[in-house]
Amino acid sequence: MSKEEYFVELVKKTFPNADVEIKENKWGRKRVWVKIPRESFRAFMKFLKEFDEDTHYSIAIEEDIGDSIDFTIHFLLKFEDAPGISLLVKTTVPKDDPVLPDISDIFPISLQFEREAMEMIGIDFENAPDKRRLFLPDDFPEGIYPLRLDEKGIPEEMVKNAGHPYLLRRGGK
Amino acid sequence: MFKKPATNLFPKTEPVPVPEGFRGKIVYNVDKCVGCRMCVTVCPAGVFVYLPEIRKVALWTGRCVFCKQCVDVCPTGALQMSDEFLLASYDKYDDKFIYLTPEEAEEIKRKQEELKKAKAKKSQ
Repeated sequence: MSKEEYFVELVKKTFPNADVEIKENKWGRKRVWVKIPRESFRAFMKFLKEFDEDTHYSIAIEEDIGDSIDFTIHFLLKFEDAPGISLLVKTTVPKDDPVLPDISDIFPISLQFEREAMEMIGIDFENAPDKRRLFLPDDFPEGIYPLRLDEKGIPEEMVKNAGHPYLLRRGGK
Repeated sequence: MFKKPATNLFPKTEPVPVPEGFRGKIVYNVDKCVGCRMCVTVCPAGVFVYLPEIRKVALWTGRCVFCKQCVDVCPTGALQMSDEFLLASYDKYDDKFIYLTPEEAEEIKRKQEELKKAKAKKSQ
């Protein structure tokens, strides 16, 4: 039984409501995809920390998928002998209630990604110790989230284009 | 200390020669262009503006990032990369950066209409 299969079995036993799947790309690299409901999101993170203390938090990705927002975290586990388990944890939150529990006490670096997700797509992380903006400038308007694809995204009049001389000459000169 | 300096005194001498396949300024051949819009699709920097009435493109190479994708995708070879790389200028809308000004576009349009008329007469 490979590392991945053992891990998947364990996840299935511990979290029956999770959707687990092993995918393999064309170079034979296996990745574990876990879809976890947000109620067990925090419990799952604690489980990961217990499963392997050196769990490596690579990146968190926030994405607008229409009615809801996806929040995906990419982990690397059991990497003493390469390759480790590459794990992607996906949580979906509805847009009318975009709240997720904060996990920065389990994985300290996650706070940076949570701050980014808060300003870029408007997920609210409950009990996050720091809710300041990370990348957006201070004079950026409130209530506009640049990565949203709906009416809360960047409005048309905020998009600037330096212009092509052909079009400029035809218009003004 | 007793060796010659290993430097190139540029304005006094020629610059370091460019290698083969060097990506310099784009050269656009208007007559070869068939207006397939492939370069407009592929350009990452917005150099091209498509002109539907004459089926050509207007270029502003001041924005070019020299990625050569338009040259690779052009089916007729109307776009080529030259060896030219000394492109400093005081004006970003300098003539050397612009292919196909509105005046040239007008002239091409007139010529195309004349051709059409001549063809129509021939067929009659």
